[in-house]
Amino acid sequence: MSPLARWLGLFAWLVPLVLFAVGPVVLLLARGAGAPGTLGWDWLVSEAGALGNTLAISGGAAVLALVLGTPLSLLLFRTDLPLRGAFTVLFTLPSAIPAFIWGMGWLSLASPRAGYLNRLLGEGTLDIHGPVGIAFVEGLSGLPLVLLAGAAALRRVDPALEEAARVCGASPARALLTTTVPLVLPSLLSGAVMVFLMAASSFGVPYLLGVSASPPTRVLTTRIYELVLLGDEGLGRASALALALLLLTPLSLLATWALGRSGRVRLSTGKGLASRPLSLGRARTGATVGVASTCALLVLLPLAAILLTSLQRSFGARLAWEELTLAHWSGVLLEPRTLRATGLSLLLATGAGALVCGLGLAAALLQRAFRRLGAGVEAVAVWPYAVPGTVLALALLLAFSRDWRFILVDKVAFVLALAHTPWLLLIAYAAKYLALGTRNSAEALAQLDPSLTEAARISGAGPLRAFVDVPLPLLRPALTVAFILAFLSCATEITMSVLLVPAGSEVLGKLLFDLQSYADPAAAAVLACAFVALVVLGQAVLALVARRAAEAR
Amino acid sequence: MAAISLEGLFKSYGATPVVRGLSLEVREGELVSLLGPSGCGKTTTLRMLAGLEHPDTGVIRIGGEMVAGPGVRVPPERRGLGMVFQGYAVWPHRSVEENVAYPLTLRHMSKTEVAAKVREALRWVRLEALATRRPHELSGGQLQRVALARALVASPRVLLLDEPLSNLDAALREELRAELAALRARLGTTLVFVTHDQGEALALSDRIAVMNQGVLEQVDAPETLYREPATPFVAGFVGGANVLTGEVREGAFHTARSGTVFQLSADTSAPPGPATLVVRPEDLALGEQGTPLPLSARLFLGHAAEYRFPVDGTLLRVVAPPLEVRPGQTLKVQLRKARLFSVG
Repeated sequence: MSPLARWLGLFAWLVPLVLFAVGPVVLLLARGAGAPGTLGWDWLVSEAGALGNTLAISGGAAVLALVLGTPLSLLLFRTDLPLRGAFTVLFTLPSAIPAFIWGMGWLSLASPRAGYLNRLLGEGTLDIHGPVGIAFVEGLSGLPLVLLAGAAALRRVDPALEEAARVCGASPARALLTTTVPLVLPSLLSGAVMVFLMAASSFGVPYLLGVSASPPTRVLTTRIYELVLLGDEGLGRASALALALLLLTPLSLLATWALGRSGRVRLSTGKGLASRPLSLGRARTGATVGVASTCALLVLLPLAAILLTSLQRSFGARLAWEELTLAHWSGVLLEPRTLRATGLSLLLATGAGALVCGLGLAAALLQRAFRRLGAGVEAVAVWPYAVPGTVLALALLLAFSRDWRFILVDKVAFVLALAHTPWLLLIAYAAKYLALGTRNSAEALAQLDPSLTEAARISGAGPLRAFVDVPLPLLRPALTVAFILAFLSCATEITMSVLLVPAGSEVLGKLLFDLQSYADPAAAAVLACAFVALVVLGQAVLALVARRAAEAR
Repeated sequence: MAAISLEGLFKSYGATPVVRGLSLEVREGELVSLLGPSGCGKTTTLRMLAGLEHPDTGVIRIGGEMVAGPGVRVPPERRGLGMVFQGYAVWPHRSVEENVAYPLTLRHMSKTEVAAKVREALRWVRLEALATRRPHELSGGQLQRVALARALVASPRVLLLDEPLSNLDAALREELRAELAALRARLGTTLVFVTHDQGEALALSDRIAVMNQGVLEQVDAPETLYREPATPFVAGFVGGANVLTGEVREGAFHTARSGTVFQLSADTSAPPGPATLVVRPEDLALGEQGTPLPLSARLFLGHAAEYRFPVDGTLLRVVAPPLEVRPGQTLKVQLRKARLFSVG
């Protein structure tokens, strides 16, 4: 790329990002930072409870994910546990399906009176409402983050280290506990920090299990939502809370970075160290039963509960065969409101997926073309992913609440009137999930030998033709993966959808939220089942793409 | 077919100079090797010739036409070249014939013409049977031939080869080397060949350009280069010669650090003063006369043995008939033929 083309490309790429992601969030932060000055400090003290709840709930979720994830990742990725491939797939579902749906599942199971578990155990035994319940659901839905961090770390631990401990006289279990576990612990901890961050930015679950409880549990995200609903007078406060929430991100990322660094020093850098899985011996049966029942309880049971709720005439009715009905299914799925929501959601998800792929690929190419400046390009592209959905949505809402007029050279003017249009949703989705496109493209691009493109140039192809003929087809699997991931995330997105859907329109995430919060749990359960089906289908396509890519190599 | 001329090329990456004032003429139909250790700038020179890098200063002409120079920068696709990359760069998403056909499809040829030319190119490299295979089904040697066929198919004016044999095992390398020589005899294309393997360069080239630290040390026919190295570096790199620094005094060479004395034979002309002594291992003899040196190691080579003596912090290597000697013994080493380069 010639220097001029590079800079033009960077400029063309930065304009939409600054205009639609960086700019609005910076404006929001400026407003938030100014809020104490205009509103005084008193009200801030009254919001301390929400901040405390956010920290306590997110911390609890991180601890739960770590405590469950550590033994699970060792069993799944280090031992000869039977069916570990299938278990791994099932245990990654909690992150693939929106946390809100897991919240619905546990609400069906453990709401104080009508929950299925409470009917078995006696009314009021379990109560999923409140901080503990929120932390529990968030911890479970973050579990895959710890598992994946553990899997990646275990792959990099040199098996010779454990063998050395064995030769020194340690039993297999002792060798595992004294060598491998301390080595992968930093990675597991950094996975737990990501769970903390995810839980702190979560809106759906604390809303579902916190706001309607008595006494209500408020966290930062749900407070922001309530303040936004108040209208203009709440926006200043909401901005200040958004600033507080946003500050958690750099702090947590710093912690992850520090943990990752201390962990990396001691892990071998060599790739693909094939190690023999540790034989479980006589513990095999016990371990299998343990993992299977954990999986059944934590993953399958909530999903089954949602299915059951969708089939019951009314939630809380007597459990009997003749009480089951498909009425909700036909009612919800054929309702014009659902169809409209589905149409708009699929349209937005497709558009956002295309934007994510295009802008992500451009980011990866710019990253490569600029070398040192590339880190900055990546930061701009990946950073909105770390911004909580509530904050991003609020920022867009505020920035585009009025129309922007741009006047170029006197005569040519255009107006950016985005308030109350679905365009705002498209922008939010694309900005939030741009990281998926950037990361996937950058990784695939790093594996491409530049001489492949150079060979096309020597063969007589110009720069554009060479790009279309060689790197582009080779990047297609990675872009397909990015598109599917972004499509699924957008189609099932709830937080930003709730805040940004214009009056009179409907998208799936908002519809699910409304049905569950205000109308009717059975109808919501039907929609949740459809979400789960969509996610499972998407994951199957992803697995297929991965297998095809592996075969072609 | 075209002649190439490189005039005063300079290229640096940041503050690191890679090529410093390189000038070289390649005649039409000639095969010139760029030979040197890794990091000497030979690959950068080749890439500038290909148009993949642009020289900071200097002029490149191919067939008389300026392709790089002040204000001129002809992109690689308009230089009419063929190139075989070190890692072959065979496109994994195209079959063998699709790979080879690519340069032709860019030249807007008819389908039948393309098919005929692809078949011919594949016959040159003996890959007709594998035309529909995918690259991941091929071995390293086969991939190398695909790359060669792709580089040749559009009858380039110049063929560039970047260490084409270095990723192959020894036996395959021999075979492909012979094939390359045969192909070249048949096609008569101008060829520039980058290698760090002096054996490869000596066997294939019309002329060899030896590079060191971005500078051209000597350009000559292989035999001239071997017999009459112009610099100690060329002697050391091409002939595997011993290189010692010191001083010539009273018909003898005194090494700089330990003052070890080697008598010079009568026919060695050497003015007194500081000099560099260059002597090939086979031009040293072990016997009754000469400089006594302690033997540090003996490597059996079959037809001969290599003896190593520590001198001035390096090892002096001598190739001579196998003798029953042990490390630690003192042997007498005599210069039979040596070259001396005056310093300064």
